Amino acid sequence: MKVDIQSLGTFNQLAHEGAQQATASMAQMTGIDAAVDVTKITLVDRDDIGEHLDDRNFVGVQFDFEGELSGQTALVMDQSCSETLTDALLPGDSAADMAESGVKEIGNIMMSGFIDGWADYLETTIDHSPPTYIEGIGRDVIPDSKTVEGDDDSADQLFVFKSQIEWLEESVDFYIYMLPDYDSLTDLMMTHADTAGDAIPIDKLQVFNRMTERGTEKAADNVSMMTGIETEAEVSQISFARIEDVPKQIGNAQYVGTVVEFTGLPSGFLLVLFDEQSAKNVAEALMPTDVDSDELTDQHTAAIEELGNIMTSGFVDGWANVLETSVDHTPPRLVHDMGQAILDPLAAQVGQHQEHAFIIDSRMQTDDIEFEAEIHALPNEQELREALDELMVERAEETEADPDELFQ
Amino acid sequence: MPEVLIADDSEFMRNLLREILEEDHQIIDEVENGVEAVEAYKENNPDLVMMDIVMPIRDGIEATDEIKSTDPSANVIMCTSVGQEEKMKEAVKAGADGYITKPFQKPSVMEAIEDVVPS
Repeated sequence: MKVDIQSLGTFNQLAHEGAQQATASMAQMTGIDAAVDVTKITLVDRDDIGEHLDDRNFVGVQFDFEGELSGQTALVMDQSCSETLTDALLPGDSAADMAESGVKEIGNIMMSGFIDGWADYLETTIDHSPPTYIEGIGRDVIPDSKTVEGDDDSADQLFVFKSQIEWLEESVDFYIYMLPDYDSLTDLMMTHADTAGDAIPIDKLQVFNRMTERGTEKAADNVSMMTGIETEAEVSQISFARIEDVPKQIGNAQYVGTVVEFTGLPSGFLLVLFDEQSAKNVAEALMPTDVDSDELTDQHTAAIEELGNIMTSGFVDGWANVLETSVDHTPPRLVHDMGQAILDPLAAQVGQHQEHAFIIDSRMQTDDIEFEAEIHALPNEQELREALDELMVERAEETEADPDELFQ
Repeated sequence: MPEVLIADDSEFMRNLLREILEEDHQIIDEVENGVEAVEAYKENNPDLVMMDIVMPIRDGIEATDEIKSTDPSANVIMCTSVGQEEKMKEAVKAGADGYITKPFQKPSVMEAIEDVVPS
């Protein structure tokens, strides 16, 4: 079963246009100025969908849809903004009482626009159920979805289409999730795949996702070993998005970390990023002596550079060992800036040769101190495709090499 | 005491290695890239080189290759974050005598040194 890059690009564009249509409908009804920020397709573990929603309270609507494409879709928003929305829709004292029905109605109209675009493209009809009002904490608000059938450990991965809609006057985001039933989506992908061209076998993409998880675990182990802080890999996923959407994913928070360019099959960029407090905490855990400074000193940055270097190797070595090749990388370059500003020039460089990009995202954290790290890889799309072509699924577990065997 | 040359572009890692080694070894020089490593080796002829792989200007495998081609008796331990089998094979081909992957702790460093330069 294969999916080609062009189809992924088309599906991503469909989701993006659907989200734009939904956003326009909302603006027309409420006068609220909003814009679609990011649309991406992610291959992710079922348990990791919506992990970025944290523990906030969300409300929204959910639909089932069926036809040539079937599955679930949901529009979710912070609970706090639902009253503002319904007040814009129904000004007056009744807004609070009408919040639930207001959200349902707005959701209904927005999501109908979202689904209609898919039906038009597929030249078919896609029926959807009446909207169901949903509320919950964090990822609990995301609907269940059928995952790939199978008995291996790839069986619980699925493709998720996610659009983030930014409310321009408030620091509030809406999210549209579409979770197609796995078989339904892959059938559609097969129908559209140009198997003689740039198609990627889906099972290899899933194996690659698993390799990335192992790489994240290895990077987390390296942090634990260097700092004594027990660190766990949290999320690992591979996404597909338009190049211009890549920097927006990280947002405008301040980060400290390292960037390396890697060469080999595939080539690309790899970023290890910490928020400022995490960077300071983890650097101090590495230092042999206490540092009396609230700011990041040269000692902090030297420690971050080395940590970034070792985490990078931990992350990419598994790819190289499974693919029986070598992936070289440049020495780490320290970065300290807003996330988007760090990624902009890298995306521009990768974007010289491709319109869409695969983005590999991983996150790790610890409960011991305030510490969270992210790893983002931006590989050359064509080279990643070639690497997947050469990937032997049966070697997927061969991520570690033992120097003692070679240096006897 | 055996004389050791440390080649690593990371100041943090040079400090860490120095702390681990200085009790039983004499650190004769610390350099930041492969070109400096070759020059420092020729100048000092140390008993052991602790060589990083990923370094600017010239990487550790190329530097090892040159050191070993001019002095086959040189003792070089790759001391690197890179854990790739193909890279280890390149290191063997260049003549490296040992290979330690970062992050490491003192016992593994001392064990690798003992294998290459027995006390």
